[in-house]
Amino acid sequence: MRRIQDRLGSVGIHAILLSWTLLALFPLALIVVNSFKTRKAIFGDPLGLPTGKALSLKGYESVMTNSDFPMFFGNSLIVTCVSLFFILLFGAMAAHAVSEYRFKGNTFISIYLILGIMVPIRLGTVALLNLIVDMGLANTLTALILVYTAQGLPIAIFIFTEFLRSVSREIKDSARIDGLSEYRIFFEVVIPLVRPVIATVAVFSMIPIWNDLWFPLILSPGEETRTVTLGVQQFIGQYTVQWGSVLAALSVAILPVLIMYVIFSRQLIRGITSGAVKG
Amino acid sequence: MATLELKGVEKFFGATQVIHDMNLSVADGELVVFVGPSGCGKSTLLRMIAGLETLSSGEIHIDGQRVDYQPPSNRGIAMVFQSYALYPHKDVRGNLGFSLKHDKVEKSEIDRRVNIAADILGLQDLMSRKPRELSGGQRQRVAIGRAIVREPKVFLFDEPLSNLDAALRVHMRVEILKLHQRLKNTMIYVTHDQVEAMTLADRIVVFRAGKVEQIGTPLELYRTPANRFVAGFIGSPAMNFLNADCKDGKVLLNDREVCRSTHPDGPTTLGVRPEHLQVDKQGPFQGSVQVFEHLGGEAFVHLNLADGQTMVAKLDGEHQFRPGDSCQLGIAADKCHVFDNDGLRVAS
Ligand SMILES: Nc1ncnc2c1ncn2[C@@H]1O[C@H](COP(=O)(O)OP(=O)(O)OP(=O)(O)O)[C@@H](O)[C@H]1O
Ligand SMILES: [Mg+2]
Repeated sequence: MRRIQDRLGSVGIHAILLSWTLLALFPLALIVVNSFKTRKAIFGDPLGLPTGKALSLKGYESVMTNSDFPMFFGNSLIVTCVSLFFILLFGAMAAHAVSEYRFKGNTFISIYLILGIMVPIRLGTVALLNLIVDMGLANTLTALILVYTAQGLPIAIFIFTEFLRSVSREIKDSARIDGLSEYRIFFEVVIPLVRPVIATVAVFSMIPIWNDLWFPLILSPGEETRTVTLGVQQFIGQYTVQWGSVLAALSVAILPVLIMYVIFSRQLIRGITSGAVKG
Repeated sequence: MATLELKGVEKFFGATQVIHDMNLSVADGELVVFVGPSGCGKSTLLRMIAGLETLSSGEIHIDGQRVDYQPPSNRGIAMVFQSYALYPHKDVRGNLGFSLKHDKVEKSEIDRRVNIAADILGLQDLMSRKPRELSGGQRQRVAIGRAIVREPKVFLFDEPLSNLDAALRVHMRVEILKLHQRLKNTMIYVTHDQVEAMTLADRIVVFRAGKVEQIGTPLELYRTPANRFVAGFIGSPAMNFLNADCKDGKVLLNDREVCRSTHPDGPTTLGVRPEHLQVDKQGPFQGSVQVFEHLGGEAFVHLNLADGQTMVAKLDGEHQFRPGDSCQLGIAADKCHVFDNDGLRVAS
């Protein structure tokens, strides 16, 4: 009797999870499937599969050849990767500083660094725009990178601080006795220990940057510096929308996020510290 | 060849004083054990010797050189931590050689020292494993190996065995003793396990609340504890303390004479070790058995004395009691300890 109940319970849980997965994946699947269809088929039979006459790669063709899409894609990639690099580097270093060292104003500084979580950076858009223009950085990728780094740092510092506090003090002390400089302790001892956290922070920080439309639109809408989200707009004309191309562009834009996620998800799950200290 | 000397060392954390005016000198090749209850400042003092904590005042000399302004790596020390503190992403060989690689020691020299350490500790078969693939005892051996490889003047151990299970702890204790006999280095060993302290130490330093209560060889501390705290701390099971009276140089318990003492007349504290008591029809300790624990070779009797005080005696395994039985115990007069009202031991 119990076993049947257990089994029913597990079936129930799986059913719920499965339907949630389907629900979440449905819009994505719809985009990808329709990107392979002719315009007529997209509207005639939105849920149909791209078979026979409905199949068309025109969307991809026009995205890859007749537009600046590869450049936009490159821009997005540069902005996201560079911002991510700075967020992870400075985030982890700041978190290490406030969690490892005792100094006057430690608590104040950690609160100050984390405060940004509560203040949406978009509130400062006008000021940011003025600043960027004054610095002569309007319409550059640098402007985006700076803003995204600032946007990602508070949450990154918050997560890193929590995890760095849990890194055993004895490992760091042991490295100090071994004669490592504080920088090498950070890079060679602490960072390898928190690799899973780096993956977490990377995934969390990357998605809002990759998907952002706001700052590219305001800070660097120029032809040369558009990102994918902004670039897709070129297919949405005032009178006609090239749906095939829009969907194809979006499908391609999903790829990096997906790849990144696959790479990091292994790290997300694996706890590398097991065995470092007691246990 | 290294001596260690602490001169007036003090430590404050904010306004709280954790170490009070600490003076200690450790001879070359000596194994000194720090014991004391949790939170008394043993680790803090050890970390100050290692250079991981600053001194609030005082000086530390290693081998005659003042080192308290030196970074840890220049002091000629190596430290073994309670949690092993191995680098989880490096294999055993990498862990052992890491500090040397950093010191830019030549490759052949690193290999030589790593191999010596691995031989001493029996790690040769484990050299390419990661810490997470090792058992607790093996990890601890790697941690000790990492200290050996540095060829330090002074070894510092901070409760290295407290994460191990009882059997392994006994085994590793013997290993550390062998290691000390083989390397003949100066060692400081922190523990709150008094058995470890008794078996390992050349000298024991007993701490309480950041102050030294007594320094001496294990037997000195066992036989002539300076005060009630040390008497209760050294020896297992702990010494019994009984309220007694002193009259005309005699120590009386429930009006029976136990021993003689120079303590002035009045109330006093009598200390008797469980293992010094034996069944004696004329003995001064009379009471009823509360609990009787038989361990085979030996037995523990928990006694409720006539005046309501309780005590424990360790008897040999011949005896058999049941709860409620009456029991009478005696002790040789020279095994008794008398403490005055300040807890100091009165010389007999
Ligand atoms: N960084 C610190 N800041 C403030 N107080 C501290 C700090 N480190 C230790 N203490 C305090 O100093 C005292 C001594 O601590 P310590 O770790 O030296 O004790 P211990 O004798 O090693 O104890 P245990 O046997 O539990 O390891 C404790 O009361 C502790 O609360
Ligand atoms: Mg301690």
